[in-house]
Amino acid sequence: MQSLPLLPETAPFPADQIAALNRIMGNATAEQRAWLGGFLAGHQAANLAQPAPAPARKVGLTILYATESGNAEALAGAARKSASRLGFAARTVDMADTTPAEIARAENLLILASTWGEGDPPERATDFMRALLAEDAPRFDKTRFAVLALGDRAYVNFCQTGRQIDERLAALGGRRVTDRIECDLDYDADAAAWLDRALHEIAPEPEGAAVIHVDFARAATEAPSRQAPFDAEITEHVNLNGSRSSTRTVHLELSVAGAALAYEPGDAIGVVPSNDPALVEQVLHAAGLAGDNDLHTALRERYDITTLTRPQVAAYAALTQDATLGALANDEAALAAFMAGRQVIDLLDAASHRLTEAQLTSLLRPLPPRLYSVASSRKATPDEAHLLVAAVEYDAHGRQRKGVASMDVIERRKAGGSLRLYLKPNPHFRLPADPDRPVIMVGPGTGVAPFRGFMQERDAIGAKGKNWLFFGGRNFTHDFLYQLEWQDLLKRGVLSRLDVAFSRDQRGKIYVQHRMWEARDELFGWLRDGAALYVCGDAKAMAKDVHATLLRIAAEQGGMAPEAAEVWLGELRRAGRYLRDVY
Amino acid sequence: MTKHPARPLSRNEAIKEESRFLRGTLTEGLSRAETGALSEDDTQLTKFHGIYQQDDRDLRAERGKKRMEKAFIFMARLRIPGGVMTPAQWLALEAVAQERGNGTLRLTTRETIQFHGIIKSNLRPAIQAINAALLDTVAACGDVNRNVIAATIPYRPAAHGTVAALARAISAHMRPRTGAYHEIWLDGEKIAGDEEEAEPIYGRAYLPRKFKIAIAVPPLNDVDVFAHDLGFIAIEEDGRIVGYDVVAGGGMGMTHGEPDTFPRTGDVIGFCRPEQVIEVAEKAVIVQRDWGNRASRKHARLKYTIEEFGLDWFRAELERELGYPLQTPRDFRFERSADPHGWIEGDDGLWHHVLFIENGRVRDMPGHQLLSGLHEIASVHRGNFVLTANQNLIISGVTLEQKPAIGALLAQHGLDRPVSGLRRGAMACVALPTCGLALAESERYMPDLLTTLEEILERHGLAADEITIRMTGCPNGCARPYLAEIGLVGRGPGTYNLYLGGAFDGTRMNKLYARDVTHDGIIAALEPLFSAYARERADSEHFSDFVIRAGYVKPTTAGNRFHADLSPELS
Repeated sequence: MQSLPLLPETAPFPADQIAALNRIMGNATAEQRAWLGGFLAGHQAANLAQPAPAPARKVGLTILYATESGNAEALAGAARKSASRLGFAARTVDMADTTPAEIARAENLLILASTWGEGDPPERATDFMRALLAEDAPRFDKTRFAVLALGDRAYVNFCQTGRQIDERLAALGGRRVTDRIECDLDYDADAAAWLDRALHEIAPEPEGAAVIHVDFARAATEAPSRQAPFDAEITEHVNLNGSRSSTRTVHLELSVAGAALAYEPGDAIGVVPSNDPALVEQVLHAAGLAGDNDLHTALRERYDITTLTRPQVAAYAALTQDATLGALANDEAALAAFMAGRQVIDLLDAASHRLTEAQLTSLLRPLPPRLYSVASSRKATPDEAHLLVAAVEYDAHGRQRKGVASMDVIERRKAGGSLRLYLKPNPHFRLPADPDRPVIMVGPGTGVAPFRGFMQERDAIGAKGKNWLFFGGRNFTHDFLYQLEWQDLLKRGVLSRLDVAFSRDQRGKIYVQHRMWEARDELFGWLRDGAALYVCGDAKAMAKDVHATLLRIAAEQGGMAPEAAEVWLGELRRAGRYLRDVY
Repeated sequence: MTKHPARPLSRNEAIKEESRFLRGTLTEGLSRAETGALSEDDTQLTKFHGIYQQDDRDLRAERGKKRMEKAFIFMARLRIPGGVMTPAQWLALEAVAQERGNGTLRLTTRETIQFHGIIKSNLRPAIQAINAALLDTVAACGDVNRNVIAATIPYRPAAHGTVAALARAISAHMRPRTGAYHEIWLDGEKIAGDEEEAEPIYGRAYLPRKFKIAIAVPPLNDVDVFAHDLGFIAIEEDGRIVGYDVVAGGGMGMTHGEPDTFPRTGDVIGFCRPEQVIEVAEKAVIVQRDWGNRASRKHARLKYTIEEFGLDWFRAELERELGYPLQTPRDFRFERSADPHGWIEGDDGLWHHVLFIENGRVRDMPGHQLLSGLHEIASVHRGNFVLTANQNLIISGVTLEQKPAIGALLAQHGLDRPVSGLRRGAMACVALPTCGLALAESERYMPDLLTTLEEILERHGLAADEITIRMTGCPNGCARPYLAEIGLVGRGPGTYNLYLGGAFDGTRMNKLYARDVTHDGIIAALEPLFSAYARERADSEHFSDFVIRAGYVKPTTAGNRFHADLSPELS
């Protein structure tokens, strides 16, 4: 029997060795293979137990991160591990928990900083950034540093926070050991190279020491990851909005049996989507390409064919030699106006040009996964993860636009099908460790997803703490997500109180913050009694309005001046009692 | 304490007794944000406040899957005695419909308006807006005296003024006295005062069942005076109302398959002077309060009390409460129960336009802008609006000078198109999707059925003939189907019982002609009858009289003989 080759051509061996191994392994019995697998694993484990080669003396290293969605934090953790294995005395510090004065004492400093939205620092890092940019910021004369900036080229002010830090540290006397790198969504390889470089500059390896290259892509555990997602079966797929609703929100139940997906309520699930096949056709058509199966698959599964970035406009202008596009790419104001609401397909249509396959794919970024708050607790449904996915659909520049992941899930997936996913921990949005601590949850729309998980968890463990939910939507009748479940939780006393705000049931819009204000007396009382307050959902309007309302409540109920109210809310945040997961 | 021997009392009796004069737990129920519903017991009490809890039945199938409770909505019905309101009130109500309801107003068969699709959070604001327009929903439903209706006779403004005022006076006299309405819906405050609340007419448990009063002015029987618990028929001498014949024991509701339930036309039991009317009404209510059956709600209307104890007993009991006898009834003659139509000149020189409103549903349709048209008319009209018991609306008291302007607005909004005699005299109840009782479609189906029937009538040269046709989605009879020449009563999805032979003037009920017929069955049954009617009818003979003379159905000869004299294959 002719066996199929076991090792792929991409295996990390020379071609002749791959062939040799395949010759041997291809004919091996199952028993032989199993033995060899066990032997190699044991051998590896034994070797890893050896102490890693270390530099002559322990070099201290501070890895400071500013994280919003957790990417910078995860990178910082991986960097610490790599640095430790190289013998550094490395520690990670969250920007939320420190001050520039404290950090200025570090001799060796790596900074991993995300930029959020239109060039803002992560919310947790705002205090640090304000202090760093202030006139009375400390000097960093004895600090050697390197900055890794994370961002998204789809937004203006790409990597703004990292840039600001990099420039500010240099201005304050810090010595840059290697140039800042600015990473877009696909940062693994660049980040690894940067870390190698920075660590080498800080402390060159002693001769003879083994070089351990950093590989962020390979996670330490076997858990599904962004690079190796888990193919989960969809066991339930139901639009929770009424058929007369103006919106659609799909509740998904995914079987994750067999996957190491040890999520906690509050965590996110990364969904690896596929692009709309109709859009793939449009892109190919615009590029004048028929495209073979592989290209179709690549555009559907691997490339971002929607998000438009500034470099793409410049690259396409260069490729097409189109004068109008060229002028556009060099005029920031005109470019911003052009990019508003436009996508890749609009760029291709703006200047008709036949592209080669390679030219097209070189224009495109990798298709990023999308994060959704998990809407369940493993204690309630051990082998399932539930997600709540809202439809994103709108018209812009004469085309119907559809959210890549949301509409993939809503329109092209169904029960019985599957979805690729992985776990994205969100350690800054967890239930209080103390089950007796009261909890206030503000989650209109899909913002309610983590709170469903919270309530399942607290129900399952019999937590004694009171729970208060603020929910909202457009119409009571059609948009009351999980209504029967909340009713049941209320009846059983798990949920202590539910306030709802439906904006379109009456002429004047009513939102969650209005309900909070109406209940300000009790709400402030809960907070005074130690409640933790969670906000999840829309960042642009809701979270800002809720924040402002909290300040008003503090001012009125606590008799605080505006500055004092800010301080009070800041203290709540630092104490882990005012937590936000907003997007 | 009820004097009717039947026990145990129905569940509703305990709910009423323990409700603290219609309060129940309504205030708490309204504040519960997680549900669009009220507690089951409270939904019985809201009826006394004119409010019915319903749900959108079109959506029932999907709700559970979507993890949502039923799509609860409320119907709120106004108390508008005699159906008389000002254009300003109309505009205020239209705003309530737009902002708090489903955007439509529904004119009922009892001279009032109901709103549909009000969600719980909008109930209080809706009632408050209604209150601000000096209207209310008190006792529009529930076991009390409901909206009092009166003949709308546009061509006799003076007589209309008299009976409309009488309707208002009766309604005011019989209005529940509890402060619950004010407290729950308006200001949330308990009305000050330590004295024990009391309901001098109703008592703690109110009536065994609803009670309806109508006032007719012959020869027009637009109010269907025989269809209500109590009726007053104006008797005129020299153009002046000298008193009223008293009719008792009418009522439409029945239950399919339960022959001891039946629609009944009232009996004339005597005559009273105008100043005695309120007293007669009050005492009739009191007799029914004490003697009505409180064990079975299906047998709790006055008609069953009269059937059980006898008409003579009832008259005697009423006269004992009054302390004087009723006089001998006078003669009267009715001609029609359908509304007249179009412009009518009153004897005071003012003009009145009877506006046909299909099924009483006021909304904008392409080419037929009822809502917008009435909005504009109400904005300029200086007279009144009068709602009729046939689901129509009279633009009343238009001066000759203003008439062209109103006429132009009607034309602009497509409200002056000719309507067939059949459609003008048609009524349908609301039924699906909001009414919880509906077994079949009614309002949503009737227009299409009429279109088909109109084609047939046209073929037989009957397009201009007036034939009353009424449909209800269940046997409870809101559109008084048993008093139509052609009655259709829902049995199940898409199937109806067909009744024929109700008198054109509303004095005789119809008779079952075909059971469980579908759309095609209705057409198949009626087409040959229309054909025969066209060929064989006597001069000015109404369709109902013809089908009886020709032997298609036996006449219903008395108020309690609805189920009798069926053809052998139906009995």
